[in-house]
Amino acid sequence: MRQLQPESPPPPDLAGLLGQVARGDHLAFELAYAELSGPVYGVVRQVLRDPAQSEEVAQEVLLEIWRTASRYDQARGSAAAWALTIAHRRAVDRVRSENACSRREQKAAEPEPAEDDVAETVAATLEHQRVRRCMDGLTGLQRESIKLAYYNGYSYPEVAKLLGVALGTVKTRIRDGLIRMRDCMEVTW
Amino acid sequence: MKVMREDLHVLTGSYALDAISDTEREEFERHLQHCPACEAEVRGMRETAARLALACAVTPPVRMEQRVLAATYRTRQLPPLSADHPRRALSRRRALSRRSLPRRASSRSAFPRGAVTRRVAVFAAAASVAVAAVLGITQLSAQHQLDQARATAIARVVTAPDAHVATARTSVGGSVTVVTSAALREAVVSASGMASLPSSRVYQVWVMSPSGARSAGLMHGSSLLASAVRPGDRIGITVEPADGTARPTTTPVAVLPV
Repeated sequence: MRQLQPESPPPPDLAGLLGQVARGDHLAFELAYAELSGPVYGVVRQVLRDPAQSEEVAQEVLLEIWRTASRYDQARGSAAAWALTIAHRRAVDRVRSENACSRREQKAAEPEPAEDDVAETVAATLEHQRVRRCMDGLTGLQRESIKLAYYNGYSYPEVAKLLGVALGTVKTRIRDGLIRMRDCMEVTW
Repeated sequence: MKVMREDLHVLTGSYALDAISDTEREEFERHLQHCPACEAEVRGMRETAARLALACAVTPPVRMEQRVLAATYRTRQLPPLSADHPRRALSRRRALSRRSLPRRASSRSAFPRGAVTRRVAVFAAAASVAVAAVLGITQLSAQHQLDQARATAIARVVTAPDAHVATARTSVGGSVTVVTSAALREAVVSASGMASLPSSRVYQVWVMSPSGARSAGLMHGSSLLASAVRPGDRIGITVEPADGTARPTTTPVAVLPV
């Protein structure tokens, strides 16, 4: 039998897909899932570390995207940012609710630096390289603050404690660092 | 007052990275409503944070997709916000989701911890009914576009307890959905939105196995029943002369597993 291969379809327009998802289109959701499941699972896992728990939270996030697709507003940002905001928020909520239950264990545990153990399994995407390059352009304190806050899910007071600097300093470094990242990556919004 | 405002403004970054407490978040969100500059800054930072997430994408386990897709069939979607008071509705929603978040009652029930097989079977039944509705199969039969026997056969497949659903885009636009029941050894092939063909051409459906491709028929309506389908077979669709051919002569516009 000869090789039967369909032509690869063009990359879908995520915002348009979400509009269809909001109208209950399961096929559109499958396509959105294909686009979003990797980054959603990736960022949740980056924060939570535990694969089983990450899978559970990522599932909840993706279902939340199905459930709340009608609330996505194109005028307020990209579809990816909307979805990944939900993902990161959920992961952080999970961390915080668990911390509230087991503060003692949390104290005993060494804070893990945002090392690239997860990133090793990551496809070396263009985005990855670009983020790397722009991260290199930050000051050490900006970089560490952003990594600890975003990739480890720490609150800024926790970041301040970990880095041994004042609260105000961390707030400022996170903001300045993000602005620098935004400009470096030529984010337009 | 001015000092406090400036202090709040510095929080844009921490807010965008979810690095603030719930109390601060509420306060900051109130501030955002009166500070367009802050909102614009937060927007840019959210986009930036999204890039950080995209950079650490990891392919999730395959089973996750089936679970999530299954859950969508039994999860009601939220209606759009009313146009009159979007902000108020938004903060009401936030308050609601905040209250329900720690328990995550709704999502827990959407992903029960029962045996995977049972869950899949339950999904398949629910999904098939939904798919039948989505594809307009019930409507089709009502319109007598299919004869009664055929409609019954199709309904039997899509409501089979082991029904498996696969969908794909085609290279000529639109999409194809294949609902297969391994037990019945039948598959329902439905297409929508594919480019219309000149009268001299037709879409032909094939059941493809390692031993070759066998015609499952010509796609005249929007659905077609393929019989004697085995696990491992694939369904392909090609463009052929109006009367169909014995074997495919063009590159398929779509190929799906059964």
